[in-house]
Amino acid sequence: MNAPNQLVLKREKEGAAKLAVFFVALSAALVGTYAGIGVDKVLTHHYDFWFCVILGGLGWAFRSVGGNKPVIVAATLLSCFIMLTFYQAPLLRYLILAALLFAMGVYGMCRQRNAVRVLMSIELMLNAVNINLIAFSKYVDPGQLKGQLFAIFILTVAAAEAAVGLAIVLSLYRNTSTVDMDRFNLLKW
Amino acid sequence: MISNGNEIGKLTLLSIVWLTIVFVAVWMVTWAVGILLPMILSNSLGEKALLINEILCFITPVLSILVFIPINAMFMVLIERRALALFTVRKGPNIVGPDGYLQTAADAVKLLFKEDITPTGADAFMFTLAPIVFFAPSIFGAVPLLAAVTNNHALFQVLNLPTGIFYVLAAASIPVVALVMAGWSSNNKYSLVGGLRSAAQAISYEIPLVLSIITICVLAGTLDLVKITQQQAGGILNWNILGGGALSGIDKFLAGTVTGQPVGNILATCYPFSGLSYLAVGALIISTIIAFWLYLTGACAEINRIPFDLPEAESELVSGYNTEYSGIKFAIFFLAEFTNLFVVSSIATVMFLGGGDNPIPVWILDSIAPLKQAVALLNDSFLVQTLHLVNPETLFSTLWVILKVYSLVFFAILIRGTLPRFRIDQLMDFGWKRLIPLSLIVFIVVVFARGLVICHG
Amino acid sequence: MLGSLLAAPIVETWLFYLFATMAIVLAVGVLVDRVVIRSGFILIGVFGSIAALFLLLSAQFLALAQVMIYAVAITLVIVIALMLTNPRMEDDTIVEKAERMAGPAQFFLSVKQGFPLWVSVIIFSTIYVALTGEKRWPVSTEPVAQDVVKVLGEQLTTTYAIPFEFASVLLLAALMGAIMLAKNEKKEVEPTSSEDQKAEENLALSR
Repeated sequence: MNAPNQLVLKREKEGAAKLAVFFVALSAALVGTYAGIGVDKVLTHHYDFWFCVILGGLGWAFRSVGGNKPVIVAATLLSCFIMLTFYQAPLLRYLILAALLFAMGVYGMCRQRNAVRVLMSIELMLNAVNINLIAFSKYVDPGQLKGQLFAIFILTVAAAEAAVGLAIVLSLYRNTSTVDMDRFNLLKW
Repeated sequence: MISNGNEIGKLTLLSIVWLTIVFVAVWMVTWAVGILLPMILSNSLGEKALLINEILCFITPVLSILVFIPINAMFMVLIERRALALFTVRKGPNIVGPDGYLQTAADAVKLLFKEDITPTGADAFMFTLAPIVFFAPSIFGAVPLLAAVTNNHALFQVLNLPTGIFYVLAAASIPVVALVMAGWSSNNKYSLVGGLRSAAQAISYEIPLVLSIITICVLAGTLDLVKITQQQAGGILNWNILGGGALSGIDKFLAGTVTGQPVGNILATCYPFSGLSYLAVGALIISTIIAFWLYLTGACAEINRIPFDLPEAESELVSGYNTEYSGIKFAIFFLAEFTNLFVVSSIATVMFLGGGDNPIPVWILDSIAPLKQAVALLNDSFLVQTLHLVNPETLFSTLWVILKVYSLVFFAILIRGTLPRFRIDQLMDFGWKRLIPLSLIVFIVVVFARGLVICHG
Repeated sequence: MLGSLLAAPIVETWLFYLFATMAIVLAVGVLVDRVVIRSGFILIGVFGSIAALFLLLSAQFLALAQVMIYAVAITLVIVIALMLTNPRMEDDTIVEKAERMAGPAQFFLSVKQGFPLWVSVIIFSTIYVALTGEKRWPVSTEPVAQDVVKVLGEQLTTTYAIPFEFASVLLLAALMGAIMLAKNEKKEVEPTSSEDQKAEENLALSR
């Protein structure tokens, strides 16, 4: 690695960080504006939807200019989440959080190529479901706590699933010396 | 005749002096922040001070832990080195301060001023995070224990949880993650092997540990640490290590016959199936003693002490997961290790040895008149009545807790001086093929025997 | 006074947003981080913040179980599996030759690559619309049962005894299955030839 190359890399990194910081400030300003609008207007004009679309477009633009990817994705998701839950009841907040985590798990499951990472995404999805169940058990059924019971069963199943899934991945790795999901195409005709 | 009686005397003196320093310091801080300051504030401010006082009361336990941990770790390192020297007929640290009393304080200062190095190629963030993740659970995990060991003192009541022991166990399982993190982020093969070994070891030995605790929880019928301690009050016959309250019927019978009160049919109500019940009592006593032993073994493995210190085996792995650590990060690892030893011993004290209960049954204590007078004198004194500096009940229970906990610590040091290290395959075999079946058998025996006896009734 | 202050709705809301922020940011970290093992460690943070959310929902027992089972046991096993399967830096993008294709083909390729994103966006928006459209959540105002562990234990041993037993059978089966799958089978043929065979198999698989 020669010196000028490193310098260029460093400058690019700094530029990406600056863009990301700018984007975070922008999204915070958007969230602030949204919070100032008031609940009636938001519900009648569907402002929540439009604000999220604007944020998504902005995030895509910043990313294509060369901003830091993880920071931009996190900021977009976070501010969308805050805007979608700001005027909702407590129960719905938890449910929307669970939906967001679930969607992220689905994304990871479809996108990742490392088999163990796919398993991690599945664990994330199971956890999102657990949030749902426990939120319901607090707000809808506080006396019997059926939601918590189901969460206990899900915990058990998740433990079993992790053990068996990882054992499968390990034996696959032993036979094929790879954990790339795209390479497990033995049955492909 | 003991040939090294002189050395033993020195060791005893050292522990007494250091323990006095440790606990007086902690109690002075706790008293000043939790009792004296609110008293002054409410005298001068009146109603306004209410919220401040509550906040002060809330932070007092955490503050006391924060004061306690470093001093206690210094003492424990010193006593460990001196005791090991005693066992192996050496001198031990004896130069810094009077007879080496300040050796560990000097060590601590040295560690704090050492250069803090992050190795090349290491994941710097994880490398810094690992000691914190290792240390934090030993602070937060110990919090529910406080109420149990201080006889439910008003200052520490806030932090008692209905799921106390489960909380402690959950907190005790977190450090393993930190060890793997430290091992991986150091970018060193020895560290990585050490971290992986610690993970494998902790996962295997957590099962007998938790099962032995669960055995006691089944006997006690609660997860609340304070309730578990309160059940065991009233002498050694009520302690969980002797059958988990299976002998409390006999205890009551003896108390009644000695003091001359009508006994009635206590024995018949506590042991309804006569012969079968006494058999169950025997089974319970044996199983709880085995459970205690299982707990000690599992705890030794969980906190990586000899004979289970494979993660940091010097002869094979240099120093295991903390090979690359230096300066303050290493100090934090070191501190947390000794704090974990203390926490584990206090869990054993609370769960098996009756917390702050004194081993002599109450009916014997009541018959000694001078003791009663002394307690009454203490109760009436200026210290108790006006300043609330000493609460006699808490004082006595704390003394017993200190005695019990440090006996267990000393026992761990004794084991360290006695037993050689396991090999990794022997360790796994011992864990999975001996301890886990044994703990399952103990658990089943206790579940069935418990129906035949009325425990803690 | 302090207790009532902590139980006030506004404090609860702030705590919720704090832990939700942690969960979302760390989950993004899990998905995006290029070092696989580090993303495994970040997963612990996600599970930890979800445990804190459980505490907010007054599910003490489950929060502790979450810490013990998810944040420590499962994640540790995952991290160890990651270490055993030879981790390396992953490529950020799927390398395919997009330049040489015609316009429509390029478009379809980009749609195909963005497919997971579209799926997850559609899933999220569907759930969101369904949730906010539903006005009939029978929100109950009675307080949560004081002794949660007791309620759970009673229900597990009475009403839900059979599922509970099935869960234990499932765990046993999973334990045995995992051991059987991960066990090293004894090689019956001599080592050199089996290695050749393995190499051939690998070739066949990578083709």
